[in-house]
Amino acid sequence: MDLDELKTKWTEYDRKLDASLELNRQLLGEARLNRAKTALQRLTLGLGLEAVLTFVAIAALGDFLYTNRSLPRFAFPAAALDLCAIVIFIALIRQITLAMQIDYGKPIAVIQKQIVELQRLRIRSLQGIFLGATLAWIPLLIVAFKGLFGLDTYRLFGAAWLSANVLLGLAIIPLAIWMSKRFGDRLGRFPLMQRLRNDLMGPNLNAAVGFLAILSEFEDVN
Amino acid sequence: MTKPELQERFQTLIEEHKKILYKVCNAYCRNRDDRDDLAQEIALQLWRSFGTFDARVRFSTWMYRIALNVAISFYRRESTRTRSLLPADICLLEESAATASQPEEILLLYQFIEGLDPLNKGLILLYLDGYSYREIADMLGIRETNVATKISRLKQTMKQKFGEPTQA
Repeated sequence: MDLDELKTKWTEYDRKLDASLELNRQLLGEARLNRAKTALQRLTLGLGLEAVLTFVAIAALGDFLYTNRSLPRFAFPAAALDLCAIVIFIALIRQITLAMQIDYGKPIAVIQKQIVELQRLRIRSLQGIFLGATLAWIPLLIVAFKGLFGLDTYRLFGAAWLSANVLLGLAIIPLAIWMSKRFGDRLGRFPLMQRLRNDLMGPNLNAAVGFLAILSEFEDVN
Repeated sequence: MTKPELQERFQTLIEEHKKILYKVCNAYCRNRDDRDDLAQEIALQLWRSFGTFDARVRFSTWMYRIALNVAISFYRRESTRTRSLLPADICLLEESAATASQPEEILLLYQFIEGLDPLNKGLILLYLDGYSYREIADMLGIRETNVATKISRLKQTMKQKFGEPTQA
C-alpha cells in the first residue's frame, strides 16, 4: 500500500465527512467567542500584568533609593534590586513585543520560529528570576523592612546573620536541583508545578532547542 | 459589514470548512478530550484573526495555515492546557457513527501520521487534501522543491512501513 493509493481512499473518505460531521454553531456565538481568550492572548495578558507590577517595583525602588541615597547600606541593596527589576522589565517588554508580532495566518515555518523564540526567552527569564531570587531575598528583606516599617535589618539581625543567609541562598540552589530530580515525578498530579519544574530544570528549554533543530531540518532541501 | 453579519459569515465559512478542523485535530491528537480542546483553540484563533482575513486568498488556505500553526503549538505545549471556550461536556464538532468508525485504510494513514513530527504531519495533510506543491510551499514557508523532496521521502517511508510483505 502506498501514499497515492491511500490518497484516493482519503478523498473518498473526505467526501463523506461533510455529511457526517456536525458543527455546533451555537457554540460559535459572538459573545462566547469574544469572552474566551486564546493561549497566546492569555500569555500576553499575563506578561502585561507582570510588566505593570515590575514597573511599579522599579518606581518604588527608585523612590527608596533617592530617599536613602546618603545611606550606602540601604542604597546599595536597593540599587541592586532596581537594576534586577529593570532587566526583568526589559525582558518582559521583549516577550510582549514578540507575542504581539505572532500572526497565525503567516507561513508555518516563520510563525513556529517566532513561537520557539518567545518560549526560549520566557524560560531563560524565568530561570534568571529564580536563580536571582535565591540571592536577592536578603537585599529585599533589608529594603522591605526599612521601606515598610522603618526598621534597620543590620541592627535587628546583625551583619553575620545576613551574610549567612546569602550563603544559605547559594546553598539552596543545588538542594532545589536535587529535590526536583528526586521528587520531580510526583509533580505529575500538579501540571503547573510540573511545567515550572521543567522550565527551571531545562527539559522545556531542551525541547524548544530540539524543535528549532527540527524546523531547520524541515526548511533544508537536502 | 456589521458585527452580526461578520459573525454569520464566520459561522458559515467554518461550517463549509469544518472538515479541515476535524482532520487537523485528528492528525495532532489521538485523545478525544485533546481533540475537543484543540478544535476550540483553533476556532477561537480563527475568530480572532478573521478581521484580518484577506478575501483574495482562499478561505481554506487561510484556515489551514491558522489551524496548523495552532495545532503545532498545541502539540508542543506542556500538559498545562486549560479549556478556553466551551464547557467540558459540549463538543464543537460532533461526528456520526459513520466517521467515528473509520475505514481501515484511514486508520492506517492516521497511524502513519501519528509517527511523524508536527511539521511533516501538516505537510502530509495538505498533500492528501490535494494542494499543489506550490500551495503547500506557500503555506509552510518552505521551497517548492523542498516540498517535492519531502513528499517523495514520505512515500518511501510509507512503503517501507506498510509495503506488501516480501514473498518467501
